[in-house]
Amino acid sequence: MELVSELAAIVLPVFICAGIGLAWTRLGKPFDSDLVSRLVYKIGVPCLILATFSKVTLDPRALAQVAAASFAAYCCFAAIGAAVLRAARLPLTSYLPSMMFPLVGSMGLPVALFGFGQPGLALALVYFTLGSIGTFTVGAAIAAGRVSFVKLAREPVIYAALIAVLLLVLGLRLPRWLVNTTGLLGGVVVPLQLIALGCSLGQLRVGSLPRAFALACLRLGMGLGVGYAMAAVFGLTGVARAVVILLSAMPVAVSNYLFALIYKRKPDEVAGMVLISTALAFFGLPVLLAFLLPGVR
Amino acid sequence: MNVLVDIASVIAPLFVIAGIGFAWGRSGRGFDTGMIGALTINLGVPCLIFSTLTKLQVSPTAFGHMAGAFTLAVAGNMAVGAVLLRAMRLDVAGFLPTVVFANNGNMGLPLCLFAFGDAGLALGICAFVISSVGNFTLGIGLVSGKLSARDILKNPYIYVIGAALAFMVTGAKPPRWIANTTEIVGGMSIPLMLVALGVSLSRLKVQSLSRSLILAVMRIGTGFLMGVGISWALGFEGAARGVLILQCSMPTAVINYIIAERFDRHAGEVAGVIVTSTLIVFAALPLLLYVVM
Repeated sequence: MELVSELAAIVLPVFICAGIGLAWTRLGKPFDSDLVSRLVYKIGVPCLILATFSKVTLDPRALAQVAAASFAAYCCFAAIGAAVLRAARLPLTSYLPSMMFPLVGSMGLPVALFGFGQPGLALALVYFTLGSIGTFTVGAAIAAGRVSFVKLAREPVIYAALIAVLLLVLGLRLPRWLVNTTGLLGGVVVPLQLIALGCSLGQLRVGSLPRAFALACLRLGMGLGVGYAMAAVFGLTGVARAVVILLSAMPVAVSNYLFALIYKRKPDEVAGMVLISTALAFFGLPVLLAFLLPGVR
Repeated sequence: MNVLVDIASVIAPLFVIAGIGFAWGRSGRGFDTGMIGALTINLGVPCLIFSTLTKLQVSPTAFGHMAGAFTLAVAGNMAVGAVLLRAMRLDVAGFLPTVVFANNGNMGLPLCLFAFGDAGLALGICAFVISSVGNFTLGIGLVSGKLSARDILKNPYIYVIGAALAFMVTGAKPPRWIANTTEIVGGMSIPLMLVALGVSLSRLKVQSLSRSLILAVMRIGTGFLMGVGISWALGFEGAARGVLILQCSMPTAVINYIIAERFDRHAGEVAGVIVTSTLIVFAALPLLLYVVM
């Protein structure tokens, strides 16, 4: 009973907020997802990184460990994904980004926060930042055919992450006015992203279900396996282990659909993968958390 | 020196976040204030009210005292405002909401939060709800010329306050999934409202500066004196005194421009009052905080 109420406290806010977004579009209310994603990525996320890292005291070694494990996990996703897709004779440009970049931002961050508190959120932000860098470099390279470091250098997330690492290593604290400001602005990230997730799920046009289903299962199964493997290889324990496993097992990110739409890489199928893997994750998440939570206590 | 740091840490978030909104508006990038307004008014703010009031140990008595004192202040501002507007031969019903109903949400709440912590936020919310309900019923009623009691029942905040009061009075805690959901959804309201305030300021134009200035000074001056007088008369101290004075001294609420535009009653002049009163309060904030902190 205690476990059920604990799981509900973690999972229900995610469901409800995404549900609000779904209802919002179904009611025909306007939702400017471009404005929201700008607010979230250009302002909210950098502030959330600064605010979170000025709140928690993390061991720089634990941080480095999680960063290494996250990086290795992304590499494994790329390698395994490429091998399976090639064996199935599917074009990498259309499907590989969906295998590589899970839904860390909107689903992973709140679950890590409610499940494992501020330290969980801080470590999840490490995983998330590496994923964002990967999306802007490797993801864009796969979809568009070339890497754009100029674009990467214009992402405020990079600078926020650098400052956060510097603060952590030097043992410095941000001044209170900056903590207050970034704390407020960082607060928009989770709710806006979840509402936006619900909105986009409601607008997806789905095609070719059997293949999308198989690839959705590949994303979740591979993610879970790689997550457990990386946690073991890097000797992670406690919150670090739980966060890396949890985030690795997230469904296909909605941003992959947006990329597919822009570059005309089978958006219908990617939409199917997003929808199916998210639906499966909604059911699988409580089960996975029930396994992970006891290891953190 | 310490006082300066304290004051800076209260003011900086407002300046920076409203400044981001202002720059956003000036850059010519689209910012759908209607959509952001709908998200905050229908979703964010009700969650913020519920989450703040149930998370905290604010006694229903302290809450009731603040509600009474702030209602008194609104009534006092109305009386003084009506007399002054009549004396100036201005359209009393058209301008009264602009000099009475203040920006207690996007400006008042972050000030109360950072000056007096979570307890200050809870008291600030009490004033905000009264002002918002008054603005949406009495304010619209005055400008449109039709007052309907049914408008009160349409305000979502009434129901949220009712639910939160049930928890406050019984001392029960809401289930954790409700607490977590309302906390994250509520967390987006203050920053989004501040960004939207900045965007609105960048779009509003000041016409007839002298009249805007007079009305702005009226809003802030009578409000401030009313707050000081009532908190002294009722023996308020500490956070309660600070929150009452702060919330009474806020600039004109942006919603008054939207109302004025909808009923085509002095929209340009109301916009001018909003801009000038907001700038005056921004400039006077260090002093104001020094008085209350």
